[in-house]
Amino acid sequence: MQHVTLIKKTKFQKNAVVDQFVKALLFSFALLASSFIFIVAGVILVKGVTPFFSDNNGLGSVNFFKFLTGNTWLIGESFHSNLYSIGFIIVSTMFIAFLSLFLSFPIGVLTALFIAKIAPKKLAELLRTVIEILASIPSIIYGLFGAGIVLKIVYDLSAMFGYQSKGGNSILSSVIVLAIMTIPTIASISEVAIRSVDKTLEHGSLALGASKMQTNFKVVLAAAKSGIFTSAILGIGRVLGEATAVSLVAGGRRSGYSFNILDTTSTLTTIMLEGMKETTGLDYDIRFSVGIILMVVILLTNLILNAVKRRVGNVNVK
Amino acid sequence: MQSREGWVMSMLSKRKINDGIMTGITYGSSFISLVVLLSIIIYVFANGIKLLNWDLVTHNFEAVSYIADLKDGTGPGNFTVDRDFDEGIYYSEKWGVALKDDTNLLGKNVVVVHYVHPDSPFKELNNKGVGTVDLALTLDYEVIRIAFVDSASALSVRGSEIMIAILDANDSFRELEFSTTGGGIRGSIVTTLYLIFFTLVFALPIGVGSAIYLNEYAKNTKFTRLIRSLIETLTGVPSIIYGLMGLAIFVPLTISLTSATGGNIISGSMTLAVILMPIIIRTTEESLKVVPDDYRYASLSLGASKTQTTFKVILPNAFAGILTATLLAIGRIIGESAALVFAIGTAIKDQVSITDKSTSLAVHIWAMMTDEPANIELSTTIAIIILMMVLILNFTIKILSKRFMRRYGVKA
Repeated sequence: MQHVTLIKKTKFQKNAVVDQFVKALLFSFALLASSFIFIVAGVILVKGVTPFFSDNNGLGSVNFFKFLTGNTWLIGESFHSNLYSIGFIIVSTMFIAFLSLFLSFPIGVLTALFIAKIAPKKLAELLRTVIEILASIPSIIYGLFGAGIVLKIVYDLSAMFGYQSKGGNSILSSVIVLAIMTIPTIASISEVAIRSVDKTLEHGSLALGASKMQTNFKVVLAAAKSGIFTSAILGIGRVLGEATAVSLVAGGRRSGYSFNILDTTSTLTTIMLEGMKETTGLDYDIRFSVGIILMVVILLTNLILNAVKRRVGNVNVK
Repeated sequence: MQSREGWVMSMLSKRKINDGIMTGITYGSSFISLVVLLSIIIYVFANGIKLLNWDLVTHNFEAVSYIADLKDGTGPGNFTVDRDFDEGIYYSEKWGVALKDDTNLLGKNVVVVHYVHPDSPFKELNNKGVGTVDLALTLDYEVIRIAFVDSASALSVRGSEIMIAILDANDSFRELEFSTTGGGIRGSIVTTLYLIFFTLVFALPIGVGSAIYLNEYAKNTKFTRLIRSLIETLTGVPSIIYGLMGLAIFVPLTISLTSATGGNIISGSMTLAVILMPIIIRTTEESLKVVPDDYRYASLSLGASKTQTTFKVILPNAFAGILTATLLAIGRIIGESAALVFAIGTAIKDQVSITDKSTSLAVHIWAMMTDEPANIELSTTIAIIILMMVLILNFTIKILSKRFMRRYGVKA
């Protein structure tokens, strides 16, 4: 008997040791997974700050103020200069982002409302699947679609107005491609928000004599405001971070502010991709600086929109 | 009284009109999504279907060309065959070779070898360039040019009929230039498979391990919540930023550890693994949450240790969830482009090595579209392949999660 308990004891002790070990191992995995965000931010920060302090192999350090506000980007080794400014690119990025949201937000929200409240069950199911498929299509295919179809349409459109666009590569094309890409994001998240609106609110509105559509637009949408706003924030995040698809339709603008929607343009992401194949030195390092700016722009947009959401979303429909 | 009633009636009919307009608007905007999806699919298929065949998948992207001449002691003869060739195929009995006109995967008109007689002098050729001494002209090679000692060369641009006629008129030739057919995507397919494999090798243990820790071991403390939100933050970072990180960390790391000299498949997989981390952790955790607590108590009360319970009871029951996470991850790997442009590079390769640059299918499209001139046809063909894979994955995930949810009585 003594013997058996002894064996049991050692076995339990062994198990306890294994348990402790496994727990520590799994904990280290979780710690590693959560530390990636610091690695990402740290690396981009360290690499991106370098061009402003080192003399970049004789080119001289990049002036941070000029970098932020200037309107010329001299790409490539051939220019052999430290004149890299992205002021005009920051502006055009924001311009494109808000224009595309301007298109995709109403369409996305109305689609969500339609799927959640208006459509017959079969049609709603079909559209939900369509949205899911659209969300899972890789961005490069949207880019390909943009380069093949949207560019042609925009080119013909600008020719109609007597404007010679660069093969359709323009702000408008970028906006259309990005809007198409954000519709599924906005629609799917808004739909969840709309469906989770309390039924009693709707019944109350209907009982007061409002029509079905009045209820949908004035009560349901208002009550789902917070969730709908979240979808817009996520949508604009996708727009700002999208790279390869836009790079196929933007056209690559190197200097000068432009708000003409038929003009070529650059965004923070496309300028990072441009000429990536054959580049070294400052021309290569500066992409990390653009990366910092991109992250700051996304962060600031998120913070501002979240602040707006808190002010707007708190108005409860009761 | 009459006027009041009329007012109510007019208000009601106005309301009806308004409602109709609103309904129309919602119908209209929802069908935009449908139209977009249909036009993407139609566009991709209409442009790409022409090139979609087995050659595309098995062939190399770069065409390799050879220059050869006749071996001593070989020459024209009488190579009769008792078979009929179809219209458009021209056979030279003198040389024992049949040629036909064709278009290759890049859309160019070429002359392709259709048949070579077993005794034909073209079966044993002398390589005039570098490499192996012996060459043989076989099926599916493109003949570019045949040059003769004292007459004009036969060029492929003039078609196979004229080429055969010129060949028949001569008794020997000075040199023959031929090439393999290019425009295939074998290399990119192999790279994509490598990327999927290595990324899962890196990402699954860490991701599933973290999910197990967070769901089974971690107590709900401030620190645990911090870990969770840090992992969640990763989803908001655009993939191009991950690409930069891969370029700055994983590329130098793999260069110092392996024989790599630049971006490579390993560095690309590591970058992808970081991108996929939050997806894998979240999906796995959700499936762990669904496993009923009764299973845990039952296993523990039967004397199993915590480790045994976790790995022998909980994990097998959450298998469908982990499979879903894997499939989601594969979908992301197939579609990812921006991060890989930085972390691997954009050099399209046929000889794929895991320590060298090459392109996945998505980056292959990007590389061709940013080239001058853009190759839209081949790009859309690759897009068909990507679309099919993504759709199949999505469909499988849907079925899987439905079955998984039903098993534990959770309504999806």
